[in-house]
Amino acid sequence: MKETIRVFVDDTPVSLFRGMTVKHALMSRDPSLYRAAMNGEILVTDELGHRMGLEGSLLEGARLHTRRAGPVSSD
Amino acid sequence: MRQLFGNPAATPLRTRKGETDRGGTWVGPSRCFHPRQKPGKAPPREVSPSFHSLSPFFGVFAPLLGCCIAFPGPAREKTRPVRAVGLVLFSFLLLSLFPGVCGAEPVDLTILHVNDLHGHILPFTEKSVHEQEPVSGAAALAAMIQRERERNPEGTLLLSAGDMFQGAPISTVFHGKPVLEIMNHLRFDAMTLGNHEFDWGRDVLGELTTAARFPFLSANLKDREGRYLPGVMPYALFTRKGICTGVVGVTTRELAFRTKPSNVEDLTIEDPAAVLPSVLQEMKNRGAQLLVVLSHCGLQADMDLAVEVPGIHVIVGGDSHTVLPDPMKVGEALIVQAGYYGMYLGVLDLSFDPSTSRVARYTQKGELKPVLSGPDRPADPQVASMIREYETRFDARFNQAIGQTAVDLVRQRHAESNFGDLVTDVMREATGAQIAFQNGGGIRTDVYKGPITLGQLYSALPFDNYLVLMDLTGKQVLELLEQSAALAVQILQVSGLTVVYDLSRPPGNRVVEVMVGTRPLEEQAVYRVVTNDFLAAGGDRFTAFKEGKNVTARESLRDVVIDYVAKRSPIAPVTEGRITFKTP
Repeated sequence: MKETIRVFVDDTPVSLFRGMTVKHALMSRDPSLYRAAMNGEILVTDELGHRMGLEGSLLEGARLHTRRAGPVSSD
Repeated sequence: MRQLFGNPAATPLRTRKGETDRGGTWVGPSRCFHPRQKPGKAPPREVSPSFHSLSPFFGVFAPLLGCCIAFPGPAREKTRPVRAVGLVLFSFLLLSLFPGVCGAEPVDLTILHVNDLHGHILPFTEKSVHEQEPVSGAAALAAMIQRERERNPEGTLLLSAGDMFQGAPISTVFHGKPVLEIMNHLRFDAMTLGNHEFDWGRDVLGELTTAARFPFLSANLKDREGRYLPGVMPYALFTRKGICTGVVGVTTRELAFRTKPSNVEDLTIEDPAAVLPSVLQEMKNRGAQLLVVLSHCGLQADMDLAVEVPGIHVIVGGDSHTVLPDPMKVGEALIVQAGYYGMYLGVLDLSFDPSTSRVARYTQKGELKPVLSGPDRPADPQVASMIREYETRFDARFNQAIGQTAVDLVRQRHAESNFGDLVTDVMREATGAQIAFQNGGGIRTDVYKGPITLGQLYSALPFDNYLVLMDLTGKQVLELLEQSAALAVQILQVSGLTVVYDLSRPPGNRVVEVMVGTRPLEEQAVYRVVTNDFLAAGGDRFTAFKEGKNVTARESLRDVVIDYVAKRSPIAPVTEGRITFKTP
C-alpha cells in the first residue's frame, strides 16, 4: 500500500499521507479553507454532494468540494 | 429475543455467559434456528402475526363455511354475492393449508444506527444542522432511540458502525467508559470495530469489550494465527419478528495508517470484499435471512463492497463521516450512514420479504433524523443523570493537579519559547526521533509556575493533533527552516537541532547555520523527524513535510505531553538558544 494518496479539493489535486482526513486535505490545499471550515463558514461535500465531517476518512482519488454554508431550515 | 454470536470454527468463544439486553443469555455461536426449524433444514417461511391470530378461524370454521357457501346446494343458487364471499373464504382455506403457494408476508423491521460518535455525549452548536438549537447529546439521542423503538418494539435493531469512544474530552479522559455505559443502557445490539477503538491500546479495548453488553464485530481483523481478536466476533445473529438477521462487522483496511501502528502490528487486516462472501454464506447456513454489513470502511469502500459482494441487503456505514440523508441503493444493497458526532440518528424502516429474501420496501427519504437538544426536546433522564455524574467527575479530573512546573511555561510564535522546547522535547522522547518540529501557533495558552492541571494542558494544546514520524533529508529540513524564517511570525519550535537565522537576508537564504546535535546538518543525510499532523499535511504552508518518507502516525500530541508532565514533574524547561537570530 502506498503511503501517500492523491485527492482533489475543488478539482485541485493534493497529496496526503495515507490515513489523513478531510481536514488535512483542506490544510494542504489552502490553510484558509481549513480555518473557514473550522469556523463553520464553508461545508465540505463528497463528489456526490453529501456533506462530510472534517475528520472523515479519504481514499485514493476522493473528490471534495467546498461550498459556503447556508442557512438551514429550523426543524 | 434470541441473540447468537459467532463463528464456531475460528472464533474464540466468550468465556463469560452474560445477560443480553433482553433478558436472555449469550449462548455463543449457534444457529439462528426458527422455533419450528429442524436442524439442517431451511427455516420455515414466516407468517405474519395478524394471519396467525386468525388461524383458528381460517383453519376450522372458515373452510367449513367457505365450502358451504362456495359450493352451495340448490336452495342457495340465486345468492351470487354470498357465493363470491364463499370463494374468497375457500381461497383462504387453500392458502392456510399450503402457505408456500403464496409465500409469506413481508415483515417490517427497523434498523437504528449511529457511527463516529467520537465521545460526543454533550450537545454542541452546529449551524449546518440547526441555526439556533444545540445538536447531538446522548440524553436527546437516547430519547429519540426509545421513541423510534416504540414504533416497532419487536422489530428493531440498534447498531453502531464504530469510532464511538475517542474524541471529546469527557469520553477520552475516561477511556470511553461514559459512552460504553450509555450504549449498554440503550441496549445496543452490536457495534463494529473502528480504527479509533485501537487508539488507547489493546488492553483498554479489552476492557471495553468485556464491559459491553453487546458484541463488538469485525470479520476481517485476525491475529497471526488466524484467530479473531479476543472479545470480538465476526458476526452476530438476531431474531426479530421471526426474521433472523445476520450482522457482520468489517473494519477499514487502512487501520494501520489510522491509529498507532504498534497497537495493531500483530493483526492481519484482510480485504472485506474477500472475507465477506464466506461469512455471509456462513450466516445464511445458520439461518440468517436478512444480511447486514456493519462497516467502518467509509462510503466509497462501502459502495465498492455493494458492487463486489452480492447478497448484501444493507450496509450500515461509518468512518467517512458522511451525512447521507437518504439511503443509497447500489446494486441490490442499501447503504446508510449517519454523519458523525451524534448529530443524526439513522432510522431505516424496511419491509423484508422472507419468501423472496429481498427488501420489499424501505425508507426512501429522510432516513437521518437530526438529534436536537434544546430545552424543550425530550431527554432520557437516566442518561442525563449518567452524563451529569461524569461531568462532575470530569470537572474534578480537569481541575486536579497532575504535575507542577517550577517556571512559567510561555509560548512564542516568533522566537524560541520554553513551552515550545518542552513540547518538542516530549515529542522527540516519545518517538525516538532525531528532530522535532512544532508550530508555535499550536500552543495556545501559557501555564504559570505552580501546579499544572489537565484542564490547563487541554487549553494550551486544544487541537486534537497526533504525532507523525517521517524521514526527511537534510536538504528538506533546511527547506523547512527557510520556510519558517520566511513566514517570520510562525517560527517552528524545534528539538534536536539548533538554527541561526539572519532575517536581513532575502527569503530562502536566511538560515546561516544548522547543527543536528553536535554536528552540522548534512543535506544528503536522512533524519528521522517527528511533527504533528497539521504540519505533516503541509499546514501553514510548510510544504516540505509533504515530501516525507516512511511515514507513521503515532499517539496524540496532548497525551504524550500529559504523560510527561505527570511522570516528570516538577518540570523547569528553559530556553536553550536553539533558535537564534543574527543581528547585523
